[in-house]
Amino acid sequence: MALMSVDSLTVARRLFDASLEIHEGEVLGLIGPNGAGKSTLLNAITGLIPRSGRISLGGHNLERLDSLQRARQIALQPQFIESVWALTVHDIVSMGRLPWGDSDQSIIRAVMQQANITAFADRHVNELSGGERARVWLARVLANQPVVLLADEPVANLDIHYQQEVMQILVDYARAGHAVVIAIHDLSLAARYCDRLCLMDKGRTVKTDTIEAVLDSEVLSPVFNVDVYVDLDNQPPVVLAQ
Amino acid sequence: MERFLNPALLLLLLVVAILSLGIGFLDVEVGSALIDWFASSMSGEALTREGLIVGEIRLPRTLLALVVGAAMGISGAALQGLLRNPLVDPGLIGASQGAALGAALVFYFNLFSGMGALATPVAGLIGAALTLFILMGLSGSMARPAIIIMAGLAISTLSSALLAVVLNFAPNPYAMQELVFWLLGSVSNRGLDNLAVLLPAFVIGSAMLLMQRKLLLGLSLGEQVADSMGLEVTKRGRYIVLGTALLVGSSVAVAGNIGFIGLVVPHLIRPLVGYRPDRLLLPSALVGAIVVLLADMLVRQLPPERELKLGVLTALIGAPFFVWLVWKERQRWL
Repeated sequence: MALMSVDSLTVARRLFDASLEIHEGEVLGLIGPNGAGKSTLLNAITGLIPRSGRISLGGHNLERLDSLQRARQIALQPQFIESVWALTVHDIVSMGRLPWGDSDQSIIRAVMQQANITAFADRHVNELSGGERARVWLARVLANQPVVLLADEPVANLDIHYQQEVMQILVDYARAGHAVVIAIHDLSLAARYCDRLCLMDKGRTVKTDTIEAVLDSEVLSPVFNVDVYVDLDNQPPVVLAQ
Repeated sequence: MERFLNPALLLLLLVVAILSLGIGFLDVEVGSALIDWFASSMSGEALTREGLIVGEIRLPRTLLALVVGAAMGISGAALQGLLRNPLVDPGLIGASQGAALGAALVFYFNLFSGMGALATPVAGLIGAALTLFILMGLSGSMARPAIIIMAGLAISTLSSALLAVVLNFAPNPYAMQELVFWLLGSVSNRGLDNLAVLLPAFVIGSAMLLMQRKLLLGLSLGEQVADSMGLEVTKRGRYIVLGTALLVGSSVAVAGNIGFIGLVVPHLIRPLVGYRPDRLLLPSALVGAIVVLLADMLVRQLPPERELKLGVLTALIGAPFFVWLVWKERQRWL
């Protein structure tokens, strides 16, 4: 049985009858051109925008949960995030516990270790480099301990080293009995780290299937409007515009 | 260090308050004068001169300065956190202009004349409540903080225009002078009964703000993150606007415009609480009270012939600070 299933999710003018299933332990990648509705889908699942349709989590209707209960189950890492105030890394990570109303230090310490940011726990987040900051934001969602972790472009603007690191953290989190859904533009990374992919176009979910089935130049080319070169046998896999 | 901040500030406030009772034209033994005043108000016996000065003049003045300062400090801290902008002043949401207009109408039409000295604060509170009502209607049920600020600006502009009309058609120069002096902001010559208006509004308003500390912390990372953590920005944000309006409206209703406290005080505290918007509220209230109390003590030390109004003094100190803040913010973007 699916851990979470999304049924005909619709957001006025932006998302039309989006449906998909997410299983325990997997990383599902949302791919598609700019404006395909990836962020809208993630925001709609999180409950940030008015939507219709049905989402069930572990067999229960998500609408039945109040906002805090929902936030304990589903956490979102938005694409753009910054701290207005000069808070410390430790304070930011602790905010992941806000939906739970506690500040469980053992969880906070563990996720800081996982994200490899323990060394600058007391530094102000605004003093860190982009790559270090990305791991701080990630640690904040990990501290939330959601059943389903949603991340919108978690590796955009990161160098190739940090891209690997962040993707690996997400894979590890999924394998530990949770599920991860990421919106991602880099199709080579998607091929390497995701278990399944959902291709979106013009606010619709076009095809949700295995890597091999979705990352096919015949499937991708019409959607992205460009010839796509795919070599999944290469290590690491390569998917590029021709 | 942070742990001792609030107790230390509370102690400092107590010391300043006692000093404030002792300061004035006459040297008075504060303790015994207070006992005199208390005993006489219990038994109805005649009041000693010292008891009269401390109990009937300095005590209300001190308490009003204290509560008004605390109200301004805490509402500034909360509003800057809600709007995620360190340059926000609580006067921005229009409640103070609404209160001023309400009070001005009392001067003009001599409304509520049966209520005596309380007519002004009561009318001010009604004015603040009305502006708030319009603000909520104008910003709509799904209002984001940015919309609330625009709506607040629109309403305060409207209130200011109406206030100008009232001033323009003042029945006589004295009424106008009285109104202008009142608007400048002061805590002098006000009885303890003013606290009956101010105190309930202060308690309810502060409680509303303190209950939303989690939201303020969550908002540090933006509305999207706060919403995704189940903090219901729109719904809970309204409590902050409501609480601020209550605090600012009641303060202006009683004491006129005491500006810049809400803007400046949170800046002084922020580095002391690790920039945490949730931990900022209580110390901002305490320092707001201390600053206004000190400013009022300074006012009382100046020559009494032409009293410098408290609101004028806070503006004189606060405005250059505001200029410096804008300068500092500009550096950040260069």
